[in-house]
Amino acid sequence: MVRKALVLVLLAAVMLLAFAANYPRKPVTIICPWGAGGGTDRLARFLADELSKKLGQPFTVVNRTGGGGAVGHAAGAYAAPDGYTLTLVTLEIATMHWMGLTDLTFEAFDYIAQVNEDPAGVIVKADAPWKTLEDLLNDIKANPGKYLFSGTAAGGIWDLARIGMLDAAGISPDAVTWVPTTGAAPALVELLGGHVHVVTCSIAEAVSQIQSGQARALAVMADERHPMFPDVPTLKELGINWSAGTWRGVAVPKGTPSEIKKILEDAIIEIASSESFKSFMQANGFGIKIRRGQEFYEFVKQQDQAWKKVLELGGYLQK
Amino acid sequence: MQLFDVLKPDVLFPLLLSMLFGVFVGAIPGLTATMAVALIIPLTYYMKPVAGLAMVLGASFTAIFAGDIPATFLRIPGTPASGAAILDGFELSKKGKGSLALMLDLFCSALGGLIGVVILITVSPPLAKFALQFTHFEYFWLGIFGLSMAAVLSRGNTIKGLLSATLGLLISTIGIDVTTGYPRFTFNVTELMDGVSFIPAMIGLFGLSEVLKRTSEKSRLQLSAVSEVVRPNLKETFAHIWNHKFTLLRGALVGTFIGALPGAGADVAAWVSYGVEKNVSKDEELGKGSVRGVIAPTSANNAAIGGTWIPALVFGLPGDSITAIVLGAMLMYGLRPGPMIFTQSRDLVTQLFAVAVLIQILLIPVGWLGIKAFSLFVRLKTSLVMTAVTIFCIIGSYALRNSVFDVYVMFVFGLIGYVFEKLRIPLAPMILGLILGRTVEDNLRVGLIKTKGNFLPFLTRPISLALFVMIVLVLIVPPLTKTFSKKKV
Repeated sequence: MVRKALVLVLLAAVMLLAFAANYPRKPVTIICPWGAGGGTDRLARFLADELSKKLGQPFTVVNRTGGGGAVGHAAGAYAAPDGYTLTLVTLEIATMHWMGLTDLTFEAFDYIAQVNEDPAGVIVKADAPWKTLEDLLNDIKANPGKYLFSGTAAGGIWDLARIGMLDAAGISPDAVTWVPTTGAAPALVELLGGHVHVVTCSIAEAVSQIQSGQARALAVMADERHPMFPDVPTLKELGINWSAGTWRGVAVPKGTPSEIKKILEDAIIEIASSESFKSFMQANGFGIKIRRGQEFYEFVKQQDQAWKKVLELGGYLQK
Repeated sequence: MQLFDVLKPDVLFPLLLSMLFGVFVGAIPGLTATMAVALIIPLTYYMKPVAGLAMVLGASFTAIFAGDIPATFLRIPGTPASGAAILDGFELSKKGKGSLALMLDLFCSALGGLIGVVILITVSPPLAKFALQFTHFEYFWLGIFGLSMAAVLSRGNTIKGLLSATLGLLISTIGIDVTTGYPRFTFNVTELMDGVSFIPAMIGLFGLSEVLKRTSEKSRLQLSAVSEVVRPNLKETFAHIWNHKFTLLRGALVGTFIGALPGAGADVAAWVSYGVEKNVSKDEELGKGSVRGVIAPTSANNAAIGGTWIPALVFGLPGDSITAIVLGAMLMYGLRPGPMIFTQSRDLVTQLFAVAVLIQILLIPVGWLGIKAFSLFVRLKTSLVMTAVTIFCIIGSYALRNSVFDVYVMFVFGLIGYVFEKLRIPLAPMILGLILGRTVEDNLRVGLIKTKGNFLPFLTRPISLALFVMIVLVLIVPPLTKTFSKKKV
């Protein structure tokens, strides 16, 4: 009798172990909070393909768009914490709750790994009068209210990047006017049409225009120079203590078993270190930045506070 | 010669597949051309770039055409670009001339598409430069011109038409305000942050409301949904096209140009072309089953596709949501869209142009297949057809964003549509309000941000002024001439 029970318990224990180690046993969903075909979606699909190959179960991307990223992040955060719903989280997880767009904060997720970071650039039309960022900033100081900046919606990441840069350079953010658009692409249309003067957006989104000589980057808002544009100085080199950019990574709902998180973290880190990932990111003009789970969490936490300050400066803070 | 490479099976076969897929997606309400392209793109990463881009072009041209099929038979636009086809196309179909309307749709789509492609091949750079001159001030007037079409759509019933258009405008104000980042009328519902999705609203207004209407008429459920047997009458079709060759040409030119504007796509092109036709032709039958009303929008929306590729290839800037996806895919193929693509990837661009022309020829048989298949389907009993339509209404609105909320939106708009129809309130003005409300509002407000509150640039910039004068003339001249000619008598 006792032996029988012991065997049963042992069997159950073995099965439980096997259960945990046997992740994934069914198809896994990756939620992408942004539209099909965009940069985040391409990255999600690449990771999904590689994870399917590595872990032997299909990983499928589901686009849950809307609410400036709020819909997808919420869907991912409130899914069952069983490792079968991953979310490709983006920077907005650290900004949107401050703007009153959602109650969701970064604490709703457990972080697996960050794989990308794209710094903002200060981009002007090829024939613009400013040769350096210093020229531009001096001109803004001399002519407050004259110049139009654009890059995304009001309170969007590239608006915040602009506010932070001007503030760090000792210029009031009100010295230029922000022209809201629905994203970087329409802002670049405005720039090339000569309807706005400066676009602050991800360098990655303007690669085509810069490389074809239609636009110039005066600076990148990063700690190091961009590998694709080694001639463009960073703000820090120019004496302005400000870095800003977007980033992407993978997260799971809070409370996901740590064995599963470990499996995912190892798999994604391995993928992110591979040659095929490097060439994929280069083809898309994306920057690679790898942070493991705990480090990624600390980073998001720091971002959450950093952006709060900038949102306050721009008058976007809701609570 | 690399030009004939496009006739090899590794390009031709995927192209044909994508076109068949395009017919399917286009003819099903709620599945849009953009969605078709987004689904195709991941498959193309493993192909030659020209095969991948051929698939994208093939799917988009056929889907935009095929959207007219359900619009004509059932008054349910298959894609947003077919919004204008529910007017005269459906009226013709009610008179038993559905096959004529669809044959016209098919040939004018192909011809309009061809004109768009020829313009793309020949005058891309200067046209793209001109299109870049358009900014918020000009888009504002373009939106106003489109909105003025509400007057045409509600003829004979001005108050009710105004009511419908205003409700559409009101609904378009829901969501995050792009100029301030403030969520308006969202009541903390996350799904409403981006506003009421246009596609579920459209499917509900036209699709579900049609189902409700037909099911409330008990007697008709046993009959087939559309009684007409579809037979092509090429002679009649070509005679109509020849008689209205200028309508076709106008539609295609307007369509290509609107497409080339980075801020407007095939849906706006179809409405503007309809408006231009109304003002140029003075056709009193427009909206009541005129062939002009079929030809003008259908040639414009297919021509617009060629147009959207103009800024995409010349500047690397998207002309609409499809080219936005394509530009991303081009990076994956290792291409850098922008002015250099014409020199660096010359072979590819040439092949692409050849594919685009080839598609217009293939569109005829593939499109015919689509019409035939759809007409077999609608000849089933109304009860069966309406069940299928309901299912596709639900799938279509869900598929857009994988959102159950959008299914509710679709149901709500279905009820609104049903009630409005009962009260004889026209639905088309509401759709116009929904599509163009944001265009008009955002462009006005962002324009005012640029000028720090000064209205003058809306009137003093050369293109703005030209558009403004044109709108005023269009609205004032016809009634004036009417009064003057009356006085003479």
